[in-house]
Formats: sequence, C-alpha cells, structure tokens
Amino acid sequence: MANSNLPRRIIKETQRLLSEPAPGISASPSEDNMRYFNVMILGPTQSPYEGGVFKLELFLPEEYPMAAPKVRFLTKIYHPNIDKLGRICLDILKDKWSPALQIRTVLLSIQALLSAPNPDDPLSENIAKHWKSNEAEAVETAKEWTRLYASGA
Amino acid sequence: MTLGSAGSSVVVPRNFRLLEELERGEKGIGDGTVSYGMDDGDDIYMRSWTGTIIGPHNTVHEGRIYQLKLFCDKDYPEKPPSVRFHSRINMTCVNHETGVVEPKKFGLLANWQREYTMEDILTQLKKEMAAPHNRKLVQPPEGTYF
Repeated sequence: MANSNLPRRIIKETQRLLSEPAPGISASPSEDNMRYFNVMILGPTQSPYEGGVFKLELFLPEEYPMAAPKVRFLTKIYHPNIDKLGRICLDILKDKWSPALQIRTVLLSIQALLSAPNPDDPLSENIAKHWKSNEAEAVETAKEWTRLYASGA
Repeated sequence: MTLGSAGSSVVVPRNFRLLEELERGEKGIGDGTVSYGMDDGDDIYMRSWTGTIIGPHNTVHEGRIYQLKLFCDKDYPEKPPSVRFHSRINMTCVNHETGVVEPKKFGLLANWQREYTMEDILTQLKKEMAAPHNRKLVQPPEGTYF
C-alpha cells in the first residue's frame, strides 16, 4: 500500500542507503510505507553521545524533494537543539532545505549536530542554558542520558 | 523487498500526523471556540490530549467551557481516538455516567476515516451541541465533572 508512483528519486536514494550505508547510520524503509524510514544513528566518537544507539524516524512528505524530509528522535537525548518530543532544530530541515540535499545528507547533518551542539540556536531553552552556564556539567548529563536511554539494550 | 510496489497516495505515518496536529493546535484554530493540546509533553508517542469547546451561541451551552479527553492509541489515525467529556454535559451522544462520546451515536467516530483530525471531532461536537435535539436539553451545573 501507499507506494505506487513512488518517485524514481526516492527509489534510487533508498537503494543507495541500503547498499552503501554511511558509517554509523542505518536507514531502512518500513514495509507498508516506503516513505517512512526507521533510522539508527550511532553517537559519534568523542561526543557525549559516544556509545549510544539513537533511534529516529523519517518521513518523506508528498512534496519531497521540494520540501525537506521530516525527522525526529525516538530515543530520549539531552541536546540543546533537540526537544522533548525528539524534534530537531536544524536549518537544512527548515529554511535552508534544498532539493539538492538527500536523506543521506540530512542524516549526516544530524550525526554532525551530535558532535557539535549549538546552544546559541536552541530548541530546548533549559538544556541550552545549562550548556552555556556549565558546559562540563551539561556534557555529563548528556553522557548519563546516553547510558540510560541509548544503550541499545 | 520490492521497491515501488502497488498502492495509492502518500500516507502520513501516525507520529508525523500527530506532530502536525500538535503544531496546528499550538497556532490556534479558527475563531478559538475549539482548541486542544497535549497532556504530557514528555510522551514521545503523543497519546493523551485535552480538548476544549466553548458552547455555541443560542443554545443552553452558550458561554460554558467544556473540557474533553482524547486518547490516540498506536493505531491512530487508522482508528479514531477515544473521546470523553471531562466536564459534565447532557447530550444525546454522550454517556450519562462516564462522559464517553459513544461512536454509535456520533457519526464522525462511527464512520471514521484516517483524514479526520481531533479538530474535526471537536468542531463536529460543537455543531452537535447546537443541533435541535441537544440545544435545549437541561444541563448539569456548570463546573461539574464526570
């Protein structure tokens, strides 16, 4: 169901995601909706998320690629640009989206966001405040949450 | 797995659909006589919601504020949410003891389609309050709850 006229571009992108996955990232379409992907991102080394396995979901809206994919974290994460519902503040998912970007670039950008939290453009005010006032402590909390919620168990 | 196999149009999955509804609810709907929001900002599955309906003009409900609880289970929006009034109300489609909106007596839930939203439910219930069989019914005291 729901997969007729799946644009060639989406088919191509999916095939490539499956055959040549980016390091630390996996994305596979769900069986009953080829526009809906189960995504897994490994916490980057040297980041507070190292050792964590983060689950996300991604959906390609009807307008894709003229509109950005919709993505959110399903795994709880302590990060200034990600809110309690897993929504992500990332420019390429909003006004900086371009049809030249792909699912792969989006996921790589999210992985990069884990390595470089940006508390100056926060989605979670409290976490951003914590990050700016006491970065070492905020990083500790992020590590703790990674152990608690993203251990991959 | 076969890519690009049979089917129809684009289906927005449950969670993204509820995120859309959340954002719409946060912006505010129409004239503000119906509204809704999430109960638990930490629930990643966005199951429990509170809706509000302001009683329509020229009915016994005028000026009253009704609170409802909507519960969107894992199978939403294939299946409708369960809907019940928290504020006491006397209405033909609402169970007198529990406040549950009975699907058998409320067409939108009985003939549910996945395109329908919580906004549609609240808007339709508001219309139902103004229907001839409801608009003059004697009501319980204001500010009482099921």
